[in-house]
Amino acid sequence: MAKEMELSGCAASAQAARMAKVEVICSYPIRPYTALMMELAKMVANGELDAEFVYGEGEHAQLSVVAGASAAGARVLTGSSGVGVTYAFETYSPIAGGRLPVQMMIADRALDPPGDFGSEHTDAMSCRDQGWLMGWAENPQEAFDNSLINYRIGEDHRVLLPQYVCQDGYFVSHIPGKVVLPEQSQVDEFLPPYTLPHPLDPKHPVSHGPQIRPDQGTVMDLQRAQAMLDAPAVIQEAIGDFNRIFGRNYSPFVEEYMTDDAEMAFFIMGAHTMTARHAVKHLRSQGVKIGLVKLRFLRPWPTQEVAEALSKFRAVGVVETSTSYGGAMRGGNLLHEVRASLYDVPQRPLTTSFMAGLGGEMVPLKEFYYMAEVLAKMIKDGKASKTVYWVGFEAEA
Amino acid sequence: MFIIPKEKEVPLGCITPAPVTEQTMMITGNWREYRPVIDQEKCNLCMNCVVYCPDACWQLNEAEDEVVWNAKYCKGCLICANECTTEALSKVYELDFEDGVVRLEKPF
Repeated sequence: MAKEMELSGCAASAQAARMAKVEVICSYPIRPYTALMMELAKMVANGELDAEFVYGEGEHAQLSVVAGASAAGARVLTGSSGVGVTYAFETYSPIAGGRLPVQMMIADRALDPPGDFGSEHTDAMSCRDQGWLMGWAENPQEAFDNSLINYRIGEDHRVLLPQYVCQDGYFVSHIPGKVVLPEQSQVDEFLPPYTLPHPLDPKHPVSHGPQIRPDQGTVMDLQRAQAMLDAPAVIQEAIGDFNRIFGRNYSPFVEEYMTDDAEMAFFIMGAHTMTARHAVKHLRSQGVKIGLVKLRFLRPWPTQEVAEALSKFRAVGVVETSTSYGGAMRGGNLLHEVRASLYDVPQRPLTTSFMAGLGGEMVPLKEFYYMAEVLAKMIKDGKASKTVYWVGFEAEA
Repeated sequence: MFIIPKEKEVPLGCITPAPVTEQTMMITGNWREYRPVIDQEKCNLCMNCVVYCPDACWQLNEAEDEVVWNAKYCKGCLICANECTTEALSKVYELDFEDGVVRLEKPF
């Protein structure tokens, strides 16, 4: 029987790792993700999980340990937060280039500006272009589910890419929510055992990560790009199987909420989606034609799906929880990709972005109401006068 | 779809069969500035050079009972000389040799 529990995002991710039967785990403490390792250490100590638990001497070591273990044919898990994520940066490209399906749980945390410990997407977003699959969970249940889903996709031989399985620090990682733990047999049906085409094996010696010539570099980049291009079909397949086996109702790439007949919409990912839903529901009761589109995979970016979902609105407000200082939109990262996705659409909506929830601040309902007002004004004026609004800091209302 | 020309093909993730014999794609002997030179009289066959060489450029010749240096791939890092227990290895400037390679004359 599947059983229902109250779990934090970190505890939910640990349960997913247990049910995925991970074989090698490497830890190094930094909050808020550390709670994941606390849970896993208890499971290993209590004999609930048969895994090698290695203490890394830093995040660079964490990623190096799991890369080696993954190359040897073990299903692996590591994780980090904030500056821990960026400390390991050097390892991300070779892991993806070596086609090792390492899974890294990121409970995100602001990068030091200096010394912030709140949730913000910037840490993981800084690593988004290295060839890792990537997406955010809205709640502990989705954190649990995304872990299993990402192992399945990343380990598929048509993909073979590592995965950042992200959740907002504190808002997801530490606030308990309802999590339905499935039967082990369901997980086993969904997630086949991990195999690598060319594992390290003394009987058949191979070299991983050799020096290559410059003219081989393009080909390796092309291989990695191709894997990302091939991933969406595998994601579709995996989500279909997941929904069937676990009785869920996920859309593979973007989820829509109250978008029927909506004139405007929030575009958002991660924990604050929950508040945004309440805001949409409330605004709807007042007759505002607003909806919400939630992004489930940031990499590969679902260009087509985003274009289709957003082109039916007149105005879209992108909620940014990360920074891109000096970028084309002068705010966060998401609006760049949203606008690029919409470029070839004949009837484009007006788009702008809202900097909200930076440094771990809450995004309260009233901020979403403010965003809705800005969107309504954009529709009335027939133009987006700015590409970014720093919510709560704008001189003009 | 992309086309990768035959001569440019690279295995998945560049994971290759381990070279049990010498590979011929990248000769690194011309990177050397100094050459480790062995004094066989002083060598006690401790095998440190064999173990420590990152490029397997010292091998034991069991028939002759001596360690043999590989000029073709030795990059001249001199880790062997550093780890030698009997000071049998010394560093000699590459261009002092008749067959001394000119460093970086052709990188690959």
